[in-house]
Amino acid sequence: MITAQLQSAAAIEGAPDPELVRIRDLVYEVAGIFHPDNKLRLLLDRCGRRMKELKANTLHEYIECLTVKPIGQKELIALLNEITIGETCFFRNQPQLDALGQIVVPKIIEAKAMLPVRRLRIWSAGCSTGEEPYTLSMLLMEEADTCLKDWIVEIVATDLNEHSLAHAKMAVYGSRSTRNLPPLYRQKYFVPIGDQLQVQPAARSATNFSRANLSDHDSTAFTKGWDIIFCCNVLIYFDLASKRRVIQSFYRDLLPHGYLFLGHSESLYGVSDDFRLVHFPGTTAYVKGEHAQVGRQ
Amino acid sequence: MTTAAARKESLLNRLDGMRQIPTIPAVLSPLLRYLEQPVEQVDVHKVADLIAQDKSLAAQCLQMANSPLFGRWQKVESVRGAIIGLGIHRVSDIAMSCSVLNMLPGKNGGIDPSVFWEHSLGCALVCRRFARKINFTDPGKAYLAGLLHDLGIIVNLWALPQEFRGAYEVAREEGIPLHEAEQKVLGFAHCDSGRLLAESWELSPELVEVVAHHHAPQQSLNHTALVSLVELSDLLCRMTGLNYGYVEKRQVNLLEEPGFAALAQQCPSLKDFDWARLTFELDSYMDEVLQHFKVWQWVSS
Repeated sequence: MITAQLQSAAAIEGAPDPELVRIRDLVYEVAGIFHPDNKLRLLLDRCGRRMKELKANTLHEYIECLTVKPIGQKELIALLNEITIGETCFFRNQPQLDALGQIVVPKIIEAKAMLPVRRLRIWSAGCSTGEEPYTLSMLLMEEADTCLKDWIVEIVATDLNEHSLAHAKMAVYGSRSTRNLPPLYRQKYFVPIGDQLQVQPAARSATNFSRANLSDHDSTAFTKGWDIIFCCNVLIYFDLASKRRVIQSFYRDLLPHGYLFLGHSESLYGVSDDFRLVHFPGTTAYVKGEHAQVGRQ
Repeated sequence: MTTAAARKESLLNRLDGMRQIPTIPAVLSPLLRYLEQPVEQVDVHKVADLIAQDKSLAAQCLQMANSPLFGRWQKVESVRGAIIGLGIHRVSDIAMSCSVLNMLPGKNGGIDPSVFWEHSLGCALVCRRFARKINFTDPGKAYLAGLLHDLGIIVNLWALPQEFRGAYEVAREEGIPLHEAEQKVLGFAHCDSGRLLAESWELSPELVEVVAHHHAPQQSLNHTALVSLVELSDLLCRMTGLNYGYVEKRQVNLLEEPGFAALAQQCPSLKDFDWARLTFELDSYMDEVLQHFKVWQWVSS
């Protein structure tokens, strides 16, 4: 039955299954992560795994599992875990990294050119096992002799989970994490350990890991004056009130020209009116809106 | 002679090769005019007859209507059957997008003209979706405006292939908007050459304004909202995979674009619009556009 429904939903060209669309819209509304029509098969596959687990036979039944209290919230988190599974890897979102290197960093350099201390500060909030902050470190180390010459680059990575942080500090990764790694970076910034790869000490020492709970502002109070914050696929697990609190603290802790990058197809719509959505080639980010800033003073 | 008239004449002289451009596809003009009237007055038979006048276009429409792209399970045998199965607007969309594709020259030294068509069809889909979301008066017109907004590129490809290629290379190397590169290299942009073609084809005044002002909607006199809608949709497409085959290396804030304020005046819901969701939705249009092009290639081969 499940298979039949999955097949029929997947076979329809141009007319997605309305129940799948309902789940897509629910996930977007609650978690802020969107599946366009051409990615609905992926969502269907993720729902299929959860349906097997729950022995739900149809998408209609599964919608009930997602919406009926008290299990709805728990099930939504289980579905989000399925959706983001395997997301963590080096060079996960190339358009985002291109935007960072080719547009955002040069803009920040320009904005801070007249300051006596040339310092670029980046926070990877919810860094999981460290692939994201190491990617940023390596990317910016590549610019150390060119546009970031004489600049101090500071990358701070935080996560709530101590096991993830321990993994991040060990910096040893298997093939799944390194699947997108460009050969140049593999050669320059990694050493093989058996069939795994370890990040070289230079990139490791450029990245500082610590434990922090994003929804507890006291534990992130040390984090101020950021040029860029990365917070990918983390906010999706928070309820609206916590999300708003975290976003407000990001807003406060960013410098006036600061940028906030979220995960692929992740949105702040309905969460914050302060940040402004900006477009880069193939990706988006949020900037601290000038109007909002004036309004806050 | 006024400055504007002098500029037009000098442009016309430069675009002497415009004579080489295929004339407006026989079907397009009457079809466009016929579809201007209110939907309830549009007659299926009349639309079918119009499309059937161009036999090769009618054949393309039929084969496309029968392709998996349009999800048909039952084979249609005539344009009329296609209209009954898919609806007047779907078949008209197919006819018009094929007409624009048929106008493109072949590959010319480094540029594959199909990228411009892909951008135009993508822009048409985004315009229609965007129009529906913000309760714009006529989503069908928005689609058409998106499809035809870059007519000037067709003019440039035919009339000044080498110089246009130079402009395209500058745009690609510097990662700047194509119209800025055209201005640098050619001294005019596709909006100017497109306007000449749109006027000579006697397109409706609003389509002429879209073609002429989609990079500067503040210059539009009577149809600012439609021109602005196209400006914003065009920009969204250029910042995604529905670009002209190269990446514009810049940061865009749609709320600061001239079209935003103009469109918000007519569509108040724009002030609280979910731009992120529309942007993510674009992802699936890329697939649709590429499939459409593949089917057209197969049909035309």
